[in-house]
Amino acid sequence: MISIFRGLITTLKTTFRRPVTVQYPSTHLPLTPRYMGFPVLTWDFKIQEPYCTGCLVCARVCPTDVITVSMKDNPKAANEESHRRKIVNDFKLDISNCILCGLCVEFCNFDAIIMSDFHEEGSLTRVEQDLPLVTLLDMGKEMQDKGKFTPPPPKKRPPAKAKKDEPATDADPEKQES
Amino acid sequence: MSTLLITITQVSILLAFIMVMVLILTYLERKVLARIQMRMGPMRTGPYGILQSLADMMKLLAKEDIRPHGSDRMLFYLAPLFVFVPSFLIWITIPFTRNIVVENLELGLFYIVAVSTVSIVGMVLAGWASGGKYSILGSARSAAQLISYELPLVFVIAGVGILAQSFNLITIVNQQSSIPAIVYQPLGFTIFFVAGLAEVGRIPFDIPHAESEVVGGPFVEYSGIRWSIFFLAEYANTLAIATLSVLLFLGGWSGPLTEHFEWLQPIWLILKVSAILFLIFWIRATLPRFRIDQLMQFAWKILLPLSFVYIMVNATVPFVETVITSNAASNQLTGIAQIILGACQILILFLVAFAISKRRKKYLTHLHQGVPA
Ligand code: SF4
Ligand code: SF4
Repeated sequence: MISIFRGLITTLKTTFRRPVTVQYPSTHLPLTPRYMGFPVLTWDFKIQEPYCTGCLVCARVCPTDVITVSMKDNPKAANEESHRRKIVNDFKLDISNCILCGLCVEFCNFDAIIMSDFHEEGSLTRVEQDLPLVTLLDMGKEMQDKGKFTPPPPKKRPPAKAKKDEPATDADPEKQES
Repeated sequence: MSTLLITITQVSILLAFIMVMVLILTYLERKVLARIQMRMGPMRTGPYGILQSLADMMKLLAKEDIRPHGSDRMLFYLAPLFVFVPSFLIWITIPFTRNIVVENLELGLFYIVAVSTVSIVGMVLAGWASGGKYSILGSARSAAQLISYELPLVFVIAGVGILAQSFNLITIVNQQSSIPAIVYQPLGFTIFFVAGLAEVGRIPFDIPHAESEVVGGPFVEYSGIRWSIFFLAEYANTLAIATLSVLLFLGGWSGPLTEHFEWLQPIWLILKVSAILFLIFWIRATLPRFRIDQLMQFAWKILLPLSFVYIMVNATVPFVETVITSNAASNQLTGIAQIILGACQILILFLVAFAISKRRKKYLTHLHQGVPA
């Protein structure tokens, strides 16, 4: 009998609290600093080219096989503007199947791919879910502008055509993160 | 001819009024429930979502009207009307102010009781005609519940009639112009409110259409416009119970300043009805559903004896008063008699509450002892 009135008083108290609702499409909750959205590609502002060399590591490691990469010779490497001998030719990321696991970021040797905080990438058709290189780079630039990703300066490397046998391990992920 | 026309106009205005009130009521209910649960409720359709119930109505009207295979065609189509028409007919004799009433019946309260009973037939018909097991289960439940709670409700109304010496709603309200009846009839108000909640199947008593048990009770198989007729009836009934409890116990349209300003009367009525409605929504947001055996026990073992006691008290106190003061002409209670009556009823209420909690404690300890350690 008394518990009924106690319950009524409890509900009356909650009536006058502020509602916790966030009117989603018009207002957003602030994202946490380490929020993980879709992976995007970074841009090397010094040389004006992507960090990605098209090495296919991320494509292989991706558990859902959503990354398609191809590689080409870097034209800037010929006149020694860039230390990258190879550069990404085409990059496609099917975000409709990406599970945001972050393995691609973990395994990339060049810090060329980072997790962004983009998460509202819905579209009406499936084709739009295949993000091309340009879009990914644009999103990456936006992330870099926000200061969430500042890659360390690359190690000095002998310019192209010097050695061929050395694998692309100049960027040690442990050291770069510090 | 002209009287017929006038009647038709009045009735159609009343029908439109009920529809609009139901729309407003569903919106308000969703908003109040949302606020209690710290949500916002409908916000998208129109400013603050005020067009939400209109949109819902459009959706319901546009839906396909399905009749399940193996249902009884005629009864299936008749049942919604059997439920809705009584709940509409009740409104004919409910006054909104001293002058605004469609038909001021001398036996208004009796008429309301008599008419509202018909809706049970509609419930049973709906469950039976749709030919599904959940619907038949729900209709059996609703028949059991409605019949059990009809009795206390009728007895309370009889008690009110005894005290007021009239079944006319306007007379009853006019007698409360100085002091609302709840002051000297708290027991009556409690029984009426609880039994009324059960009558319209609001939440602690929504056994007939308990969604988690029998999906939707008698209305499972209905869709679209027929379902919305049931819905309309349910909300019209809720509103009727709220209005009736205001008229019978809270003094209806009488309030401060109504003697000087006529237009204040409907405002007072609306305010009081809103308060009762808020109470109903509030209870809905708080209490869990009764089990069916608890429901029956509550009706037959507590509410019905209480309403007997209520009638007895209501009949005795005025009788004693007339004997003492030998003033048989007046049918209004004097102040002292009112105080005694109120005290008696509050005492009874407390005794019952005490007895219930004591029994419950006993039951709980019994339960705990039964559990092996
Ligand atoms: S692992 Fe890094 S560098 Fe290699 S293809 Fe993927 S993003 Fe480009
Ligand atoms: S986050 Fe995981 S699923 Fe998404 S692209 Fe990278 S490796 Fe594939």
